Amino acid sequence: MMYKKDKKRTGRVLLAFLLIFPLLLTGCWSNRDLSDMNIVAGVGLDRTEDGKVLLTVQVVEPGAIQSTSSGNAEGGGPQPKPVFVESYEGETVFEAVRGILSIVDKKLFFSTAQVLILGEKLSQDGIEEAMDFFQRDNEMDYLMDVLVAKDVTPREILEMETDIDAIPAIYIKGTIENTVLRGTVKKTTLIDLIKDMISNGRQLAIGQISKAGEKEVRTEGLAVFKGGKLAGWLDPRETRGYLFAIDKIESAIVNVPVDKGKIAMEIMRSRGRVKVAFENGEPSMLTVKVEIEADVGGYEGSSSLESSDNLYFLEEKLEEEVKKEILMALEKTQKEYSSDIFGFGTYVRKYHPRYWKNAKEGWDKIFSKLQADIRVDAKIVRTGIVRNPLKEGK
Amino acid sequence: MNERMRKRGKTENQNDNCDNMSTDLYGPIPETVKEVNDRLGKIFSGCSDFMHREFSCGKNGLVRMLVAYIDGFVDKRALNQDVIHPVLKFLSNTELYEGSSIYKSLKECVVIDSDIREANDMRQAVDGIVSGEALLFIDGENKALVIGVKAPQGRQVMEPDTETSIRGAREGFVENLLTNTALLRKRIKNPNLKLEMMQLGEQTKTDVCICYIKGIANEEIVNEVRRRLKKIKTDAILDTGIIEQYISDNRLSLFPTVGNSEKCDKLAGKLLEGRVAIFCDGTPYVLTVPYLYIESIQTTDDYYDHAFFATFMRLLRLTALMISNLLLGMYVALVCFHQTVIPFKLMITLAASRQGIPFSPFTEAILMILAFELLREAGIRMPKPIGQALSIVGAIVLGEASVAAGIASNLMVIVVAITAVCSFVVPPLIRSTMLLRFIFLIAANFLGFLGITLVIVAVFIHLCRLRSFGVPYMAPFAPLTVHDLKDSLVVVPIWAMVTRPKILRQQENKRGVKGTKRQEVNTKP
Repeated sequence: MMYKKDKKRTGRVLLAFLLIFPLLLTGCWSNRDLSDMNIVAGVGLDRTEDGKVLLTVQVVEPGAIQSTSSGNAEGGGPQPKPVFVESYEGETVFEAVRGILSIVDKKLFFSTAQVLILGEKLSQDGIEEAMDFFQRDNEMDYLMDVLVAKDVTPREILEMETDIDAIPAIYIKGTIENTVLRGTVKKTTLIDLIKDMISNGRQLAIGQISKAGEKEVRTEGLAVFKGGKLAGWLDPRETRGYLFAIDKIESAIVNVPVDKGKIAMEIMRSRGRVKVAFENGEPSMLTVKVEIEADVGGYEGSSSLESSDNLYFLEEKLEEEVKKEILMALEKTQKEYSSDIFGFGTYVRKYHPRYWKNAKEGWDKIFSKLQADIRVDAKIVRTGIVRNPLKEGK
Repeated sequence: MNERMRKRGKTENQNDNCDNMSTDLYGPIPETVKEVNDRLGKIFSGCSDFMHREFSCGKNGLVRMLVAYIDGFVDKRALNQDVIHPVLKFLSNTELYEGSSIYKSLKECVVIDSDIREANDMRQAVDGIVSGEALLFIDGENKALVIGVKAPQGRQVMEPDTETSIRGAREGFVENLLTNTALLRKRIKNPNLKLEMMQLGEQTKTDVCICYIKGIANEEIVNEVRRRLKKIKTDAILDTGIIEQYISDNRLSLFPTVGNSEKCDKLAGKLLEGRVAIFCDGTPYVLTVPYLYIESIQTTDDYYDHAFFATFMRLLRLTALMISNLLLGMYVALVCFHQTVIPFKLMITLAASRQGIPFSPFTEAILMILAFELLREAGIRMPKPIGQALSIVGAIVLGEASVAAGIASNLMVIVVAITAVCSFVVPPLIRSTMLLRFIFLIAANFLGFLGITLVIVAVFIHLCRLRSFGVPYMAPFAPLTVHDLKDSLVVVPIWAMVTRPKILRQQENKRGVKGTKRQEVNTKP
């Protein structure tokens, strides 16, 4: 009944110890207290005139946030600011990250950073070198949003005191989420950016941020890169065309002008694909195929929606509208920037590897010259809970 | 021989004298009442509760008789009515002649009490007296009668404080062994319910009783229980807790390998599963072996309630067990090591609550949990009437003042409070959880989640090695006994629980006939 004591017990204990011991040699050692850290909410990166890296951090003061949110600030003295912003110049990003510690009291904790804002100057000089640190550091949150600031420095944006949220970085992140639903900004997380930088055959495209007022920002539009350097911008409508093509539309409102009014269509589902047609081993045509399902969101006109012919007509109009937007985006990137942000090159690399081998270097030139064939197939699924507009025609 | 003894040292001499005296005193019973009385007087000298009375009876007062007992132990009314009165009446009405027939007839037809024994030497006689029986001695015989006229003692059967349940019996065991066995017999009306008495403790001579159901309990386990109980050599058995420490498989383990209960229905259930119970006189706690880890999250309510609720409650208890073990350590690991996994908004809340606290999270945790343990212990030890003062002080000191004074953070108070609440959900493991919590905390402070993982691994290795009376402690999970999973984390309905736990390896495994699984209800007219 009783079990015998194991004779090899000591041996086993030794073995177990030897197996456990290497676990202690892993990196995670440091015990640091939460109250000894500066919680970074936003990071800005720019380049100074003399070529140095200018790092800006937006740091949260948790105590101030708590007292403002619960409204029990003690005494009548000045309210503590919920965030402070500090900048530091360094030869490299990492040097700046360490150097900034000389002007703040606690260690910086970057894992909580919500946004990374790249300055225009840095973008024009090329972002790939600067991004290496963010990819390499083990504490970076790969899900933080990356934006390029247009006509404004990152520091100006991070310093902005908004009335909307106590922490500006949270406010910026919120606007991105909202704009994504309008389909006018490309949400670029750090991991997306890193993937795009590695992938062959697609140029970088990062969302854009600009100043909308004294206390507001606007996250709309797109920064187009070529070879890691900022080439130009796309406006919101072009951005939406671009997003339709690369299948990144979650939702959008497209206004379709019909006879005497406008119909606002809500895009419910969209599927886009880009391809390159080949003839005799040479690329002959860029093709973009988009399938859309849309609802009628608002009808500021006077026709009836009752017959299916009317709906077919609407579908055609919607197709035209979307097609126009895609064409605008495509033409601008082809003619002005000569940068393949759509990823046509990726398609070629995948399906025509032999051709790609030789054409890799000059692909952007080839891309700029190709004709485009854009096909949009739209379907109207619902018309809301009513069928006819209030102001009904005869 | 005496001369040789005198040459020895003084102490030894005394010892020997004592021995001599005791062997002399405890020898065969002398023939005359006077001598017996003298002997008893010597043995019980200094015992003011020892009562003895000599009678002269018979027609001419020729027969002398002695009654001896411990005062307060014996039901005097019963002794007078059932023993002394009939004896005196008999002796005064009967012609006496030579021979030993008085004793015989007294034994066989005069003394009314049914519980009657013969003592053949003084040792037996004294044992009877100290265990609450009355001694009756008649001149002219080397024997005495030991009559069981114990007075009913102790408190009434009532609901146990330590194990409460919503449904099920409210009866709990009491301090009296025979009351307890009777309560059990009331539930299992079956001659197969075996009760084996033995006495343990050199000084206390405590009655201990092994109890099992023959045919259901594994004979090997019963033998093992017998063997281990017989091996106990100690002065005093005051509670089953002492027996538990002697018979545990791994005496140093933090985890209990012997179960205990105060509830009759729970004990009956355990016995019917094939376990062995150990009663001990003087305590309401009855031991059950083998005791497995899973039993700590089982309650009687589980079987009286719907299986779905029972399953949910089991999982809830298991969660509570994990929380009370791990939460404190996890919190410290999270705040000190793994800030990267905390979501941003929670991070700000955390950082805000930590701001201005002069201690590290570890120190803070130790302080708070110590304060809680102190309150808990004080709650147990202090006299009941001042309980309210303690709870007020506890609530204010722990909850309010420590935060206001900036000694502890709000979140730490919440964490400690949840830990404390959860630790009370699984009473059998309160003590092991209490210590493990500190180990987890220390590991978390040095190695973060890695440390916690290492301790978990170590604890599991220990648990899987542990056995209770030869049965693996972690059964039915390790070794996996698919059959027994029906009553582990998931509770199947009672009508589907047709077999007893296989791991206990009984001879008779079926609980009932399969046809009686579910009562067929005939709804058709």
